[in-house]
Amino acid sequence: MVPLEGVVSAALTAAGLTVDRGRRRVLDGVDLELRRGEVTVLLGPNGAGKSTLLAAISGQVPLAGGRVAVDGRVAAAAQTAAFAGRSVRANVELALAWWGAARAERRDRAAAALEELGIAALAERRARTLSGGEARRVHLARVLAVRPDVLLLDEPFAGLDPSAREDILFDLATLFRSGGGDDCAGLAGRATGSDAAGRAATCVVVHDRAEAWALADRVLVLLDGRIVAAGLPAEVLDHPPTPEVARFLGFTGELRDGDALVLARRGQVTLDPAGPYAGTVERRLPTEDGVRLEVALPGGRLECLAPRDAPVVGAAVRLRLDGAVRFRL
Amino acid sequence: MDFIWEGVQEAVHLLLHQNAELRHILWVTLHVGVFSTVLAALIGLPLGLTFGLGRFRGRRVGLAFLNAGLGLPPVVVGLIVALFLFRGAPLGGLELIYTVNGIILAQTILALPVVAAFTATAVAAVPRGLISQAEALGASRPRVAALALREARVGVIGALIAAFGSAVSEVGAVVLVGGNIHGQTQTLASAVLTEVSAGEYGTAIALGIILLGLIVVCGGLLTVLQQRGTDDEGAPWFRWRAS
Repeated sequence: MVPLEGVVSAALTAAGLTVDRGRRRVLDGVDLELRRGEVTVLLGPNGAGKSTLLAAISGQVPLAGGRVAVDGRVAAAAQTAAFAGRSVRANVELALAWWGAARAERRDRAAAALEELGIAALAERRARTLSGGEARRVHLARVLAVRPDVLLLDEPFAGLDPSAREDILFDLATLFRSGGGDDCAGLAGRATGSDAAGRAATCVVVHDRAEAWALADRVLVLLDGRIVAAGLPAEVLDHPPTPEVARFLGFTGELRDGDALVLARRGQVTLDPAGPYAGTVERRLPTEDGVRLEVALPGGRLECLAPRDAPVVGAAVRLRLDGAVRFRL
Repeated sequence: MDFIWEGVQEAVHLLLHQNAELRHILWVTLHVGVFSTVLAALIGLPLGLTFGLGRFRGRRVGLAFLNAGLGLPPVVVGLIVALFLFRGAPLGGLELIYTVNGIILAQTILALPVVAAFTATAVAAVPRGLISQAEALGASRPRVAALALREARVGVIGALIAAFGSAVSEVGAVVLVGGNIHGQTQTLASAVLTEVSAGEYGTAIALGIILLGLIVVCGGLLTVLQQRGTDDEGAPWFRWRAS
């Protein structure tokens, strides 16, 4: 992993984490380092072991092997937001009480956390009467309020409708980067970041590449209980190390070109009459921004996005690739 | 049916006129009810929490025993406790036979499964996610217990109401262990039994009415505690008034 400038030491180091469920090995020798002030995003398909990994590093499941060293305290937000039958404010204060915060400061810290997540107006509402998006914000507010050294968020956007999801994603990304403008987003901004989110080493499990792009300082990809890719978002998401990782990361087009295997995301494939690749439109799916084309080529198949007046099924087209990844066969 | 009217009149009379005898019976009854409920709660709440929230081998077996304990026949429990407390018996040295404390012991044994089994059921229904979130934020055991009890308070206080009600109403174990000694170990319920045997139906009914009143008042106080701050408005078809 590339050492990042200006980043303080690791808050959590895990080595060789192995977890078994019955006879099945769910995690297989996972190494992991979470650094202060940095957001690590954990990506992986369903059943890859993402939630188990979070549970393992927060000590909620027994380890079959490996060890975890934490400098400070870990707070984990479960995937489901379950609340006590009390007000929003009482629920956040309760979380502070669980954490062991002094009674005198709970009220102010709860108020500050609600403010940060833009839900101060909900403070006196009954927590169980909130909408999905509101409930998720309260859920996040209570783990941010405790100001942990290591913050673990398990799919904070799961089960939300798209607009609520985008709102919270945007706010959370801003919160993690607060203190800096767009041009000094990320680590530079992080150093002066908000109190609640600023100094924690954060690990977020997400489902979606868009969420990873929005939040991550570093990305880890988990497949079948192993870390198969790790690094900066641009490194991992644009240059996946193996075809397997690439396929998971949305490189849907696949082509044999001589002795290389070329994988391309839809956005990297363009219709171009002068392009080097000739093929035939095989399927055509209208979307809100145009059409999605599936083009069959002699060496495989590519997908691309095209305007609505794109060629019909059966038409011969030529394609250009910008930034696809190549693997030697 | 004149009996009932006479009983009501007698009850009013007994209550209005300072009656040392009645006051003593009332005091013994309350003493037994409160102490056995408190003792059963001190043991039964932790037990119920353990079996309701715990994940360990033997939990189901333990729960089955607690639930079976709900059907303990008071007379049999009274008999066994008495046999242990008689002079010369293993616990005879405690000198609890024919005392109020002996009655409290028997009633605690009877109330314990009620408190423990209903508490276990009530806390087991608290959303698991809430408990694990508390644990994930480092909540200590007492805090998790307090959370579960508070969230399950409708069921838990219901268990305490049931325990108190049975402790003040029960006669079998009271008579066997306490001896139903007039002016010493007689409770309202056992006094009713005595009065009926003596053909004093009016007094019996009067005592019965006072016992019912005691249960209503104490049960009511606990109900206030139970329902304070609960979220639920109830299902729409059970809601009598729009709030």
